[in-house]
Amino acid sequence: MTTTTTPQVASRWSRFRSSYLLYSFKRDLVAQLSLVVFIALVAVAVLAPWLAPMNPYDLAQIDIMSSELPPFWIEGSDPAYPVGTDAQGRDMLSTILYGARVSLIIGFGAVALQAILGVSFGLLAGYLGGRVDAFLMRLADIQLSFSTLMVAIVVGALVKAIFGGATFSAYAVPLLVLIIGLAEWPQYARTVRASVLAERHKEYVDAARVMGFTSRRIMFRHILPNTLSPIFVISTVQVANAIIAEAALSFLGLGMPETQPSLGSLIKSGFDYLQSGSWWITLIPGLVLVVLVLVINLLGDWLRDVLNPRLYKG
Amino acid sequence: MIAFLIKRLFHALLVMFIISVIAFAIQDNLGDPIQQMVGQSVPESEREILREQLGLNDPFLIQYLRFAGNALQLDFGYSYIFNQPTTEVILRHLPATLELVFSTTLLIVLLSVPIGVYSAIRPRAWLSRFFMGVSIIGISIPVFLTAIMLIQLFAIGVSWSPFPADTGWGAWLNDLITTEGGMPAYGRGDPVPVFGTWATNFASLEGLTYLVLPTVSLASIMLPLFIRLIRAEMLEVLQSEYVKFARAKGISLRRIYFLHALKNTMLPVITMGGVQIGTLVAYTILTETVFQWPGMGLMFLNAIQRSDVPLIITYLMIVGLIFVITNTLVDLIYGLVNPTVKLTGKPA
Amino acid sequence: MTLKKTLLASVIGAAMTTAVLPTVASAETTLRMAYDADPVSLDIHEQLSGGILQLSHMTHDPLVRWNKDLSFEPRLATAWEQVDDTTMRMTLRDDVEFHSGNAFSAEDVVWTVERLKRSPDFKAIFEPIESVTAVDETTVEFKTTDPYPLLLNLATYIFPMDSTFYSGTAEDGDPKDEIVKNGNSFASANLSGTGPFTVVEHQKGNRMEFERFDGYWDEQSPGNVDRIVHTPISENATRVAALLSGDVDFIAPVPPNDLDRVREDEDVQLVTMSGTRIIFFHMNQERVDAFQDPRVRQAFAYAVNQEAIADRLMKGFATPAAQFSPQGYAGHVADLELRHDLEKAQQLMADAGHGDGFEISMMAPNNRYVNDAKIAQAVAAMLARINVTVDLKTLPKAQYWGEYDDRAADMMMIGWHSDTEDSANFHEYLTACPDADTGAGQYNAGNYCNPELDKLVAEANLEVDLEKRAQMLQQVEQTLYEEAAVVPLHWQDLAWASADNVNIEPILNVMNFPYLGDLVIEEE
Repeated sequence: MTTTTTPQVASRWSRFRSSYLLYSFKRDLVAQLSLVVFIALVAVAVLAPWLAPMNPYDLAQIDIMSSELPPFWIEGSDPAYPVGTDAQGRDMLSTILYGARVSLIIGFGAVALQAILGVSFGLLAGYLGGRVDAFLMRLADIQLSFSTLMVAIVVGALVKAIFGGATFSAYAVPLLVLIIGLAEWPQYARTVRASVLAERHKEYVDAARVMGFTSRRIMFRHILPNTLSPIFVISTVQVANAIIAEAALSFLGLGMPETQPSLGSLIKSGFDYLQSGSWWITLIPGLVLVVLVLVINLLGDWLRDVLNPRLYKG
Repeated sequence: MIAFLIKRLFHALLVMFIISVIAFAIQDNLGDPIQQMVGQSVPESEREILREQLGLNDPFLIQYLRFAGNALQLDFGYSYIFNQPTTEVILRHLPATLELVFSTTLLIVLLSVPIGVYSAIRPRAWLSRFFMGVSIIGISIPVFLTAIMLIQLFAIGVSWSPFPADTGWGAWLNDLITTEGGMPAYGRGDPVPVFGTWATNFASLEGLTYLVLPTVSLASIMLPLFIRLIRAEMLEVLQSEYVKFARAKGISLRRIYFLHALKNTMLPVITMGGVQIGTLVAYTILTETVFQWPGMGLMFLNAIQRSDVPLIITYLMIVGLIFVITNTLVDLIYGLVNPTVKLTGKPA
Repeated sequence: MTLKKTLLASVIGAAMTTAVLPTVASAETTLRMAYDADPVSLDIHEQLSGGILQLSHMTHDPLVRWNKDLSFEPRLATAWEQVDDTTMRMTLRDDVEFHSGNAFSAEDVVWTVERLKRSPDFKAIFEPIESVTAVDETTVEFKTTDPYPLLLNLATYIFPMDSTFYSGTAEDGDPKDEIVKNGNSFASANLSGTGPFTVVEHQKGNRMEFERFDGYWDEQSPGNVDRIVHTPISENATRVAALLSGDVDFIAPVPPNDLDRVREDEDVQLVTMSGTRIIFFHMNQERVDAFQDPRVRQAFAYAVNQEAIADRLMKGFATPAAQFSPQGYAGHVADLELRHDLEKAQQLMADAGHGDGFEISMMAPNNRYVNDAKIAQAVAAMLARINVTVDLKTLPKAQYWGEYDDRAADMMMIGWHSDTEDSANFHEYLTACPDADTGAGQYNAGNYCNPELDKLVAEANLEVDLEKRAQMLQQVEQTLYEEAAVVPLHWQDLAWASADNVNIEPILNVMNFPYLGDLVIEEE
């Protein structure tokens, strides 16, 4: 077995090395920088429990007497807290690392859910057509006409109401994944459907059908691979969107609780202190959020330019 | 045409029906409105009487039918927190939101068209690259963060002197990054009453200053999208055969750009614009929260926090209506601009 | 006041139907003020709340009112005497007129008290009064079922209403004196009292305008305000900004985060007072067996650092508390000290056999009291030091009180202000053995029960000798402290701010009832 797979891997690797993708990446400084920053951010977020000076979720480590300390370059700071502390006395650096982790988990989780829902619905709608298509696309239409953020806010408020504030806090991460996932699936569905419609009547699909393959096999094994590049491009943008959506929900108090803050809820809790001069509680997590979203968007832009897929407009 | 409108009307009613049923189904979870109405030492027996009087103990179906019957007569009930008909409460908050959306739309249109066209005509100019760079940063900053930064910069002010102040260039650079603050960042100030519940911020210079920061932050999220869209569409049109043909015929570049190319660019932009007006309404919830702009978004958030179910339902239904209307209008305009689209209600 | 400013004042408000341009712009003194909310109704018996009582002090007069030092000041009643253990006689002023022009008499007092006894919100505190009778035009006699020492406290809630004005039926056929919650009763839109101000206009949630009552009886009052325009501004930062920019002259409350900003501004003045609302946590003995051990409760009380909360989170805007009763209340025990001592707390936990701690749930509102959610977080962090793991949930107040009624968590936060400005009220609602039938311990989410204390308070409520009564109530506070019935945190301070020429200090008090009738605005 190994003897057969190794050359295949090697050939894939060499194929990748000679690909246009890598070629253009090597020539694009912005894309390289973005990737480096992105990987660095993901790495520190994933490794937060080992890197962070303290565990912001462990209340025993928090001392209210060291609250609202400024970052190191401002007078009155404490070297133990390089970027200051928040109103409860949490180390901002640790809290930001953990917060970025939460934001990334929700961002990727929500996009995975969107992709699963959107791709399956898109495939179904495009391949089966007829009533299924009409129903799913009408649903997508209505949802898109409401704007995804609005849907997320309303669904967020409803979910929070149904579960009650207490239960919501306990399961905030999976619930937020669910809310953002449900709000944004139409983007995928439309794109996939458009690709499927384009692919459906191509010869290889007809050939597969003549050979007696099942619809499911045709959809997943034959059509889906050909729609991968638009899905890939959308996904980058959607991760950025999902992170922003989570931050927006948290900022409105419909997201992560303050005891388990994401970047969005950190910004929210710091906002109260902006007027009284403690800007770092809100602006430093804000900066991290912007950088994170920016590099993802830049990578998405680069991917779109390179892959140049047919995307559904509007 | 009429069939199309009827279909859309049905669409709207369906959306509003679904919203009302969902909102009604979860109202128990939103909290107890009685708690908001009575003093803390009122005994449970009194609360029960009040609950009975307000019909909160009736079965779900009866409560819903009562609501639906009244709603058909445009009576959506009383807001618990304002103690007024919800329609009145919303009408009072509507002008603030509409003015914000209007000024934002104005800003977007005024800036995105020239910038988008310019960066399509001169894609390699440094100014175009600058605009594209700024626009991707703009997309990446959440609207509430833009708002917070604007408050820090222009309402609170920043004094920062990282450069040596005793040198001329240092002082100049320090001045450049130091901001005065003082811009109004909270509420609407004193809008000038026009008629009824409508008071406007457009009638006085002072009123306009209150609009500046909220408008800029609300526009910050949409402006880049439109610039990029206009640029992309324009680039595509410029490469099309008929533009090449027109150029070959010797028609002046200006005429080509602004008459032929721009006209064709605007079609998808209008479609997108309609959808985005809806998105704008969603973003007002965030902007209004940060700036305490007394519009519908802020009111909605307060209603959620204080479990004012009738107000929440009315808001959702009215917003649903706004979405359906704007989408219908967009389709109508689209049909006028591009007569090949048939208004049959089927996806084009 | 310049014309421009007066014009501005008339158009202030988010949205309004009509701009009433003042015809006289020069001689008038106008106060433009902003509270966080406006009264829910013009019917002063519709809700027992701070907002309604603040309105009552503007448009009506009580029989007696509290002074700054919590003593009684005669208003519509000039004298009172205890006839026997259950009877009190009050002499009324004879020169008082209602806004409607009707003359004020003893019959109006009788009518008002009878209406109070019908009001869902007020009937509980007027329960002790058995009957009121008008002896003659200017004398009323109160009879209580049992000896009742707090009759004068109750008299501060009696704002005589114009009985003639509210008699008969309104246009819609309903009686004019009916009390309707959240509805459109005659009394909720029409008002006639004896107070210094008449209501000119009330747009709910937007704007309220008052004018000085020409025939106001109190000619000794230094007050010189002719007009009041009240624009409620619910958002803290907006309210402060409105004062600092000169859009309004008087605001309350001032949020803790903005105290410094207001203090530093040269054109405005800040007045703060230690308030009477106690913020504390209940420890539920029914849900957590460990809480039945007084040592565990004491350990919790020792673990919490009230001073740190008052200092860091409240920015000094709270008075750390070790008991319910604030200073000035009968039950206040001066030598009950704060007991933050971590080692002692750990020792107590170890003694009780919980040295390794345990896990509890905690709930607090997040938009009810000043910094409520942040305080709860801080307390949770402090409890972590004695190895108690806290699962904290914070909820908006609309949902919180439902959870509170269900006693949904092991520790629950609540803030309490005694409606009678009396210590017994704390015990009756918060620490009395819960009894659903009598309503005792309605808010006792700790299920703390000490029948002896219940007995003591019941006796105190029949004790007419106020000296003796105070001793009994102090005994109650002492016991609650020793047994650590609850974890008290602080009394939430009060803060008001005004333009420099608006002399608010003399008219403010810890009940938060600004006596605006006596307000003096100095000429600029």
